[in-house]
Amino acid sequence: MGILIRDILEESAKKFADIKAVKWLEKKEVHERSYSGLMENVIAVRKGLQAEGLNGKHISLIGTSSVEWIESYLGIITGNTVAVPLDAGLPEEDLVDLVNRSDSEALFLSPKNKALLDGILAGCPKIRKVWILQEESLDVSDGKTASLGALKAASGKCDSDTSVPSPDDVATIIFTSGTTGKSKGVMLTQNNLATNVASVDYTTDPGSILLSVLPIHHAFCLVMDWLKGFSLGTTICINDSLLHMVKNMGIFKPQVMLMVPMMIETIYKRLASADAAIPKKVLADNVFGGNLKIIFTGGAHLDPFYIDEFAEYGVEVLEGYGMSECSPVISSNTPETHKAGSIGKPLPNAEIKFENGEILVKGSSVMKGYYQMPEETAETLKDGWLHTGDKGYMDEDGFLFINGRVKNLIILSNGENISPEEIENKLALDALVGEVIVTGEDNGLTARIYPDQDVVAAKGLDEEAIKTALQAFLDNYNKNQPTYRQITGLVIRKNPFIRSATKKIKRQEALIDEPLPMA
Amino acid sequence: MTKEMQFKTIVAQYCKVKPEDMNNDMRFREDLGFSSLDFMSFLGELEDTFDVELEEEDALKVLTVGEALELLERL
Repeated sequence: MGILIRDILEESAKKFADIKAVKWLEKKEVHERSYSGLMENVIAVRKGLQAEGLNGKHISLIGTSSVEWIESYLGIITGNTVAVPLDAGLPEEDLVDLVNRSDSEALFLSPKNKALLDGILAGCPKIRKVWILQEESLDVSDGKTASLGALKAASGKCDSDTSVPSPDDVATIIFTSGTTGKSKGVMLTQNNLATNVASVDYTTDPGSILLSVLPIHHAFCLVMDWLKGFSLGTTICINDSLLHMVKNMGIFKPQVMLMVPMMIETIYKRLASADAAIPKKVLADNVFGGNLKIIFTGGAHLDPFYIDEFAEYGVEVLEGYGMSECSPVISSNTPETHKAGSIGKPLPNAEIKFENGEILVKGSSVMKGYYQMPEETAETLKDGWLHTGDKGYMDEDGFLFINGRVKNLIILSNGENISPEEIENKLALDALVGEVIVTGEDNGLTARIYPDQDVVAAKGLDEEAIKTALQAFLDNYNKNQPTYRQITGLVIRKNPFIRSATKKIKRQEALIDEPLPMA
Repeated sequence: MTKEMQFKTIVAQYCKVKPEDMNNDMRFREDLGFSSLDFMSFLGELEDTFDVELEEEDALKVLTVGEALELLERL
């Protein structure tokens, strides 16, 4: 038993055929695709993949939100193939590693990221096909690269549509930061995704406008903006850049949006700094576009202060909780049932219990496991219970609250989960870095470095020279990193880190004994 | 209001430093406490206020107040 994303999408294509499914900007003009047009393209992609002999294979996608990206993604997961969405902002070496570790045999690549093509073809021997996410044909003759338009045209070679996947088949692999410093591929089945879509208690009229501003490779955006949105017949508008989020709210006039807390904090700064003489309704119309009623937020903790503040501008902020491993939503406040400060009531398909304060989840949206990582899977999934790594409790009304973390993972307010060890391993490569710990403060990452004393002595460096050298090293490191992995604070320690009896650095002590200087 | 003052007034929306206390060496993230998203939103506001179009990739390389002012002057 179980349900499929293919069933959900086919039903929407029938029910909402003429409604606009996606709107986007191209050279400042709004373009649109109807549900029937979207479905045609999705079928063409999956038949094309079948014609290329890719049934049962893994296929990566690299790019930011676009109609071509989502049609390709849906083509993959509604057929017999597995989609691996990757963060286009990662350095090339990381992307090569993830394409290889996911055993991907084909790739969809956005035109903006074409510079990655040679590196990926050279570094990923299993890749036999790359489709650039554009309709126009390409002037490339490497035998491997073609346009999305060419793939869809190849679908004509297949008379029959692909067979229907089974609910227990893996539909997608989403990479998430691991606490061991190596990102893990979360395997989500058809049923995991489809039951998450069906279990989130939110409905809206077909044709309602949603503006999608989150990164599409994230489970929260992919499942809740796109899959949930499509299930309701929503018109999903693509925010072309975070520079233009407010401007695009004015263009598309959304009724609902999904955001991470950092976005809410940034918008609030704009609201709060406006001239007090401007009526709140006028200001809200200017900033939110005039129709925004609901913001769903998740991915990190939101200070309840913002819920009250946004309510004054006529916008209800509803906080939820989830993780990629749960497809991703575990609990959510809803327009009907909500409590400020809580992360809402668990979804009907999620059973919750607590073990030493840690939140454990069981249910139809809990992942199959981590791809090719049996040990990590066994550590996280025990007797079907997913260990979330978050500490929390449930109040007498059934609302869930979070009050701490078990695992060593930094959660920034943009919802990005950062494994400090992953970055520390890279920073430790500099000769001047003796010991390093990365911590999360003020919405950014701070490197706490104890300089290598032998290098300091050998080079005769004074305090200022050490600072200059380390800052130059960090600036250089930052250049190749997505913004959320950049180091924005530096503490140069006078003393080595305090260590436990097992010689592990005591991370919490590092925050206190030599704190970040005040700005 | 001069262009520079107008620019600094926008910066001040996102931090606790007053326009008159800002200097060109101040770093947006490290010294003024901008989050990554504050910075992007700020760039969007620059575009709207001064009616310019920024090359996103170049604009995101900007670290200091002075560099942002220079970028604006070049447009």
